Amino acid sequence: MLSIRNLSKTYGNGVRALVDVSLEVPAGMFGLLGPNGAGKSSLMRTIATLQEPDSGSVRFDGIDVLRDKQALRQVLGYLPQDFGVYPKLSAEAMLDHFAVLKGLTQGKERRAVVKALLERTNLWAVKDRKLGTFSGGMRQRFGIAQALIGEPKLVIVDEPTAGLDPEERNRFLNLLAEIGEDVVIILSTHIVADVTDLCPRMAILAGGRVQVTGEPRQAIGELSGQIWQKTVTRAELARYEVGYEVLSRRLAAGRTVIHIWSESDPHEGFEGVAPDLEDVYFHALRRAERSAESALAA
Amino acid sequence: MSSHFREIFRFELKQSFTSPLLWGTGLLFAAMTFGAVTSDSVTIGGGIGNVQRNAPFVILQLLSVMSVVGGVFVTTGFVAGSALRDFERGTHELFFSKPMAKLDYLGGRFAGSLVASVAVMVLCSLGILVGSFMPWLDAERIGPTLAAPYLFALGVLVIPNLLLTGALFFALASASRSWLVTYVGVVVYFVGYFVSALMLGDVEHQKLAALLDPFGAAAIDLATRYWTVAEKNSALPPFSGLLLANRLIWSGVGVAILAASFATFRTSTGASTYGALGRLFRRRKKVAVVEPDPAVEDANARVIPSATRDFSSRRNRSLFLHALRRETLSVLQSIPFLVMLAFGMINMVGSSAVSFERFGTKVYPVTALLLENLQGSFVFLLAIIGTLYAGELIWKERALKVSEVTDALPVPTWVPLSAKLGAQWLVILAFLAVGGLTAMGIQLWRGYTHVEPLLYAKGLSLAAVPFLLAAVLATFLQVVCNQKFVGFLAMILFMISQVVLGSLNFVHRLYRFGEAPRMIYSEMNGYGHFLLGFAWFNIYWAFFSLLLVVGAALLWVRGTETAWRLRLREAKARFRGPWRALAAVGAFGWLASGAWIFWNTNVVNDYIPTDEWEHRQADYEKRFARYKDLPAPRIVAVETSVDIYPAERRVEIAGRYRLKNKTDRPQSAIHLQLNPRVEVRRLSLDPKWRTLFDRKLGYSIYRLPVPLAPGAEMDLAFELSVAARGFVNHGANTSLVYNGTFFNNEDYLPQFGYTVNRQLQDRNQRRKYGLPPVARVAKLEDKNARRNNYIAADADWIDFRATVSTSADQIALAPGYLKREWSEGNRRYFRYEMDRPILNFYSFLSARWAVKKDVWHPDQENVAIEVYYDPAHAYNVDRMIDASKKSLDYFTAAFSPYQHRQVRILEFPGYANFAQSFPNTIPYSEGIGFIADLSDPDDIDYVFYVTAHEVAHQWWGHQVIGGNIQGGTMLSESLAQYSALMVMQKEYGREKMRRFLKYELDRYLVGRGGELIEEMPLARVENQPYIHYAKGSLVFYALQDAIGEDVLNRALARYVAQVAYQEPPYTYTPDLMKILREVTPPAQQVLLHDLFLTITLFDLRATTATWTRRADGKYLVKLTIDAKKMRANGRGVESPLPLDDSIEIGVFATSGATEKDGKKEETVLYLAKHRLNRQKATFELVVDGLPVEAGIDPMNILVDRTSDDNRTKVTKGGT
Repeated sequence: MLSIRNLSKTYGNGVRALVDVSLEVPAGMFGLLGPNGAGKSSLMRTIATLQEPDSGSVRFDGIDVLRDKQALRQVLGYLPQDFGVYPKLSAEAMLDHFAVLKGLTQGKERRAVVKALLERTNLWAVKDRKLGTFSGGMRQRFGIAQALIGEPKLVIVDEPTAGLDPEERNRFLNLLAEIGEDVVIILSTHIVADVTDLCPRMAILAGGRVQVTGEPRQAIGELSGQIWQKTVTRAELARYEVGYEVLSRRLAAGRTVIHIWSESDPHEGFEGVAPDLEDVYFHALRRAERSAESALAA
Repeated sequence: MSSHFREIFRFELKQSFTSPLLWGTGLLFAAMTFGAVTSDSVTIGGGIGNVQRNAPFVILQLLSVMSVVGGVFVTTGFVAGSALRDFERGTHELFFSKPMAKLDYLGGRFAGSLVASVAVMVLCSLGILVGSFMPWLDAERIGPTLAAPYLFALGVLVIPNLLLTGALFFALASASRSWLVTYVGVVVYFVGYFVSALMLGDVEHQKLAALLDPFGAAAIDLATRYWTVAEKNSALPPFSGLLLANRLIWSGVGVAILAASFATFRTSTGASTYGALGRLFRRRKKVAVVEPDPAVEDANARVIPSATRDFSSRRNRSLFLHALRRETLSVLQSIPFLVMLAFGMINMVGSSAVSFERFGTKVYPVTALLLENLQGSFVFLLAIIGTLYAGELIWKERALKVSEVTDALPVPTWVPLSAKLGAQWLVILAFLAVGGLTAMGIQLWRGYTHVEPLLYAKGLSLAAVPFLLAAVLATFLQVVCNQKFVGFLAMILFMISQVVLGSLNFVHRLYRFGEAPRMIYSEMNGYGHFLLGFAWFNIYWAFFSLLLVVGAALLWVRGTETAWRLRLREAKARFRGPWRALAAVGAFGWLASGAWIFWNTNVVNDYIPTDEWEHRQADYEKRFARYKDLPAPRIVAVETSVDIYPAERRVEIAGRYRLKNKTDRPQSAIHLQLNPRVEVRRLSLDPKWRTLFDRKLGYSIYRLPVPLAPGAEMDLAFELSVAARGFVNHGANTSLVYNGTFFNNEDYLPQFGYTVNRQLQDRNQRRKYGLPPVARVAKLEDKNARRNNYIAADADWIDFRATVSTSADQIALAPGYLKREWSEGNRRYFRYEMDRPILNFYSFLSARWAVKKDVWHPDQENVAIEVYYDPAHAYNVDRMIDASKKSLDYFTAAFSPYQHRQVRILEFPGYANFAQSFPNTIPYSEGIGFIADLSDPDDIDYVFYVTAHEVAHQWWGHQVIGGNIQGGTMLSESLAQYSALMVMQKEYGREKMRRFLKYELDRYLVGRGGELIEEMPLARVENQPYIHYAKGSLVFYALQDAIGEDVLNRALARYVAQVAYQEPPYTYTPDLMKILREVTPPAQQVLLHDLFLTITLFDLRATTATWTRRADGKYLVKLTIDAKKMRANGRGVESPLPLDDSIEIGVFATSGATEKDGKKEETVLYLAKHRLNRQKATFELVVDGLPVEAGIDPMNILVDRTSDDNRTKVTKGGT
């Protein structure tokens, strides 16, 4: 459905946001994982016609996105990362405004759509309240409501769960999960659990490059037998940081539990654990860092 | 000082001194003052004039203006900025959580930013200092470099002003925590300041204004109002009295505002800390709300219905309307817009209360005046609104962070652009519509019911055009710059560049965006011929704006891409189909209309920018000044036939001059001077005789094959055509118009010899073109100068006859008596013949007039009085007739018989505001009397005054005409002023005259302060209006007061009898002085000398006055006075003079100063002249009634620079 080929983008200040990014995204939920500054938003904006790549192509369902932006916008639903509202408008009025802009010209139909979307996002009860008074979670749900106007074929949500409390996050992810199956949904996030919970397919982006792509299960399988865990004191931590490829450190009851990557058993009290997506993610990041370092050294 | 304060202060200073804002604005301001000091094309406030370029007065003026205009910007940027910075950056919580007293925080911020603001103004003053050392300046106009004026300006003006505005804006900013509120506050404060300055600008409110002006400028103005050049070059105003009081008051206000702001400031960040003002304006208030959220249900149950989606072009149009409505409403409902609208309305109502006045007399609120008032007090706000909202609208989505959503919506790019632009246009129109309704409200409220909504619609639409175009430019600049503040800055730079270009003589409107020739509305002639040029230039700029719109659409940033490389790539991709077509239409229309305009302004008409015009004037002088005093034949008779075609703005002139050689030598040279705009059809001089011809300057020399013998006469016949074709860039001809044609013989008819009036007058310009200082009026001692009168050098007295024709709906007029009137085809013909010789000074007029006729002294002389007026302006016609009759009564009794059998007053369009007396014909501008509202009997009746003055010119000018020599205008203008004053005094009494003379005294004293060359005594006046009008009034009034009205009038009658209709040599002031000396008693001879032959000033003061009751019931008044007499030279340097004068001492029962309800007349208890020969004197006077006021020269008859301390209250004294 969505086919991204060799996308590259360097900003005026020299930052290489995207380096030869190629991705095939089928219908369904697609997770785009990456730390802050990995290039996720650049990629999302490029797909959403808001930004021009230096080179490469984006095709969606027969549309050459970079050429025929207007055609893509007709099938697009987009929730940007940092999303504001008109503070003095009510939720219903603003959603109605967006619906007009999305081509819903028939008043009666439009009102029905707006009502259904507000109901689905649990905002119907507060439809007359000014958006300026909405909480972060309400605002994000409003954001997804506007993205879903007009039965989009491509839905892009950029870091939607950042800053939400766990309950709101669940509520939001549920909304995403309810979207039809023949729709391409790209969920960009730096929270691994979002992808684990929702996405049948995913990609990990770091340093502007695609590090891993495919099904989470398969990626996890590939690391099987290579993840080791040990509980260490804080004083010991520095030594392990030098000696091993530490993927993550987590505090547990005042002590630190570290995960390292090693193809063979490192002994020294490490015990093997079953990898999860987080290990995949951090492993990909470490690899990206290493290649960046060697590129600098070279 | 706590260490916290010091640290905050230091931090603030460092922030400011490392910011480009400080150095940038400092250098900009320095460049401005540098420019003002070193060049005449930059003026800040008023021009420098004749004073030294670095005179203390100039330094004071420049820094005073800069401390207001620049100071407001600087304190907004630094002081308000320092109050807002932490809230803007979100760092306030970091600061407020530190263990620090809020006084340290606020005090440190304020003090640091104030010091930074002062630093900018110090840089600004360095501009003057550096400028005064520039090598290209005339050394003669640079004075010594002194520290005192700079220190005075900084200490007395700049620092207190910055403290005040800083405190105000700091308070506003910290209370509202919003830039927008602060901006609006700044604008309101600024405009409010100028309005109040305007409202208090009248002579009668000076003292109040001096106290109320928060910047102290009015106090400085008052202290230096009558300063002469010598004083301006050397002195500083005393730091006392009103100036000191003003500074103390407003610095106190500043400190108080600051204290209040500090006291009410709260460091907590909750919603409750925002003042009421802030709550009103806040937009991004984040309030955490507990959501009444129902439990999460199974949302799958709710299916989202599908809906038809339409992406057709018809849908795009409705989308546009949808967006347009939203954008427009968002502006119309926004607080800053409503504040500015309300402000504009208040401003208009306020200024309409004072602006419809002249000499303190009201005029009717006619629509034309209200439109003018709208333009000045209301419409200009659109420049601010336009600039501000172009930015606000273009940046709205991005500011609210919804742009990434809206930009990704399936909406064509042209929709948001055109909706935002359209919204600006609708806002402009709505704003003007409210202005129009307010103006109509003002008219109705004043009881003026002739409301003309259509004229408002027309006038306001025309006023809207430049702002509609500016909106396009502002939008384009916002789009291109893609940075809100850079966009604002670009727009401000554009506005400044328009002014700068103009001062550099780049005046063609083909390259001045959005400009069209200025239109002057006249109630007689409507917008007249101005409309055509205005329309074409606007069409031209509208096409250009279309190109700007296309450019904006192509460069419109959609999404987050801002790199120019990619924007251009995108623009190229967008440049297809309709955009290409629009660009082609725009480019073609722009070029085609530009070509048409160029054809009209530069080919059909002459395009002469100011410097080119000066250049021609200089050329004229360089080439032909040598012929100045050449003896030449003189015109003795004129016979003309003038055909006026008002609709075509054309006039055909055929005529015949009879020339006579009045010299005792044969004359063969004829120097013919014609207006270069005149087309010569035929001339009875053979072209073969022509030895010189300069078409540009209109000068030619013919050499007659047979010289004209002494005493012989010859005819010169000519056929001329003058037409205003097409339209011009500037300086449209206002003599030939559709309704109200008015020109005189100097405008279009042939003249002879070199004309001094065509020379460059300004001495700096003269120097620039290498010309010697302008030749001054000939000295009284010059024997030859009196060969010519001062009206014309090529004639003495002439016979005059004219046939004038015009279109069927108009009346045509010229001096003389109507002999015959007839029609031929669709034209009306009038034959006028004068029955006695007149000066070579006549005019032709044509308009659609109503006529009112009356007769003066029907039984005796039968003088016909006729007023030709616009049918809408009948208000004061009877008053004019009455004034004419009373003038004739007085003048024929006092001076001599009236030489004509007719007085005609002719209204002409208000392109000029004067009345002018031609033989038996007085053209009178519609702007100066026809619409005066004379219903209040307390006001000065200036219709009566102007009419009397012009009728008096039939004596002083048309019977007695002085030579072209010093004092010449005293014999016409000063005597006409005196005559009018006497008629007025007879009609309105002495107290009214005192008020009138107060204006004259002010006019004289201000005038002499602005003298460029040399102030002359009245008898040697060199065509200086402040002397021959204003001082003339004072002098002759004082003289009649001293020797008696009858004595003076008899002397004048003798003078008329002696010199009326004199052939050369013409009379001069010594002739009159001789008679005056004969009639003046010996004791008053010194007065004649003081009044006419010198510049004499008095400083008269009543110091104390007390009364005690005597046994017989009468009152004994004890008055002490202080009297000084000074003599000034031509540059205003004064020297004391021993006092030996008769001066009036008076005691009054009611206070004459309270003129508010002037109904009650002043009761004079005592008024008599006393001989004074000491500076201090005490008088004991016995009066019958209870005294209230007493004083010296209480009627303000003598020239006194402080005229309001002549009287004092009389208090009850001890026994």
